[in-house]
Amino acid sequence: MMETIGIWVAAFLTLSMFSFLYKDNPFYKFAEHLFVGASMGYFIPYTFFNVFIPYAYNPLFLRHNYWLIIPFVIGLGYWFRFSNNLGWLSRYPIAFSMGIVGMGVPMSIHAQILVQMRTMMLPLTNINLILIFIGTVSILLYFFFSKAHEGLYGKFTSVGIWFMMVGFGASFGYTVMARLSLLIGRLQFLLGDWLGLIK
Amino acid sequence: MNFSDYIQKIDRRYIFIILAIAVILPLLFPLGLPTFTTPPVLSLYKHIDEAAGTDDRAVFMDFAQSPSTLPELYPMDLAILRHCFLRDIKVLTISYYPQGAAIMQMAISEVKEDFPDVKQDVDYCNFGFRNFALRVPITLGMGDNIAEAVETNAAGRRLENLPIMEKLKNYDNIQVCMEISGAAPGIIYINYARARYGVDVAIGVTAVSAADNYPYLQTGQLVGLLGGLKGAAEYEELVETFANNDIPYSEKKAQNLSWRNQQYELSKVPYKFKQARIGMDAQAVAHVLIIIFIIIGNIGYFIEKRQDKNKYVK
Repeated sequence: MMETIGIWVAAFLTLSMFSFLYKDNPFYKFAEHLFVGASMGYFIPYTFFNVFIPYAYNPLFLRHNYWLIIPFVIGLGYWFRFSNNLGWLSRYPIAFSMGIVGMGVPMSIHAQILVQMRTMMLPLTNINLILIFIGTVSILLYFFFSKAHEGLYGKFTSVGIWFMMVGFGASFGYTVMARLSLLIGRLQFLLGDWLGLIK
Repeated sequence: MNFSDYIQKIDRRYIFIILAIAVILPLLFPLGLPTFTTPPVLSLYKHIDEAAGTDDRAVFMDFAQSPSTLPELYPMDLAILRHCFLRDIKVLTISYYPQGAAIMQMAISEVKEDFPDVKQDVDYCNFGFRNFALRVPITLGMGDNIAEAVETNAAGRRLENLPIMEKLKNYDNIQVCMEISGAAPGIIYINYARARYGVDVAIGVTAVSAADNYPYLQTGQLVGLLGGLKGAAEYEELVETFANNDIPYSEKKAQNLSWRNQQYELSKVPYKFKQARIGMDAQAVAHVLIIIFIIIGNIGYFIEKRQDKNKYVK
């Protein structure tokens, strides 16, 4: 029974969203606002019971791990963002968070730059590697602005533009596929779960 | 009003209706178009399949998903879980997103309906939801000891007491870290798990993100990639052909479309395990329609351009 009610509610909200394709209307507005409210409403208690209780309340008050007071006090500094006078206190937890981000820098450099560069330095034994080599060099030179893009150099950098265009085209094609997939997913729900036309 | 003026002023709602019809018809009357498999998907299937029947290897799945990515990512969830359950491959699951945790539970329950012998905490273990801030510490900690890093499963039982964890100690026992994500897929695992511990990483992503992740395939930082609904359809097809018939993976057979088509009848496959393939029928028709729209739009553009030029010459 509850599942049936859920399907009807979801179908009504889906159609309300689709109604925007005709024009803006109260059904669309209602579904849009409900979505924002429900998302936040779901997130807050879920975080409270799955984060605050197991990682803050239980260790501190039930298991008496008092050393956790230090990170809690640092974390509470975020709340001072709402105070005009004490807002500066929120910079301490932000600074601490930035320090943690720094921890990932060496590994990011390794994974995102060094490994990528190493692949560029392989012997050009097949057409794919040759294309990757030409594409990378021509695009890098295209973004080198200390020399005018003229003559042979200009022609080579324009090859970089072609490579980028192909890349943008691939991304755009994938984006069209993604958006259509969302439509297909919703229609599968409406035709299958709601109307029972798909078996 | 000539042709170019007409298509410039056409009400876009007519296009929406035509597109909706183009998508609805193949969903109601599946065309059964062939599903060609691509190397990143074949590679992932092969990699996961190599863990079949072992009790000291597991597939680790991270569900970084939300309802907005369900149409593309959920079929991947189902296909990979089904592959693992069919081939007796251990599975560990986790989500750092509240909504992802619900989707993860839903996917496990839906696949498990068809596998009554598959037992929780023996054949698979759902670690449940973890706060996003713990993602890096847990990812790094799993390199030393999974049970210590994650601590408990979704039901709150300590991992060291669970049968599945007896031979699953750290990344040495992880066949592949698979992140199925609608956000920044695989970056945490590539940066930390792969770079520091050398574990194999794969991703399932929405089509929007797919093109951005091919460089990681090129470098070998990813062992496989499922891109959008197409990737899900390909994986579904491989599971149907090989795992469901208990046939070991063979690259030669995988590339033989006519052989694959003889292995099963699409109409007899439960809908949940073929939804991506049926979706791809609709996708193909819609793509053809969009290509036609683009061609018509360009014809109108060039006609208008020529008319403007002639007007200017006069």
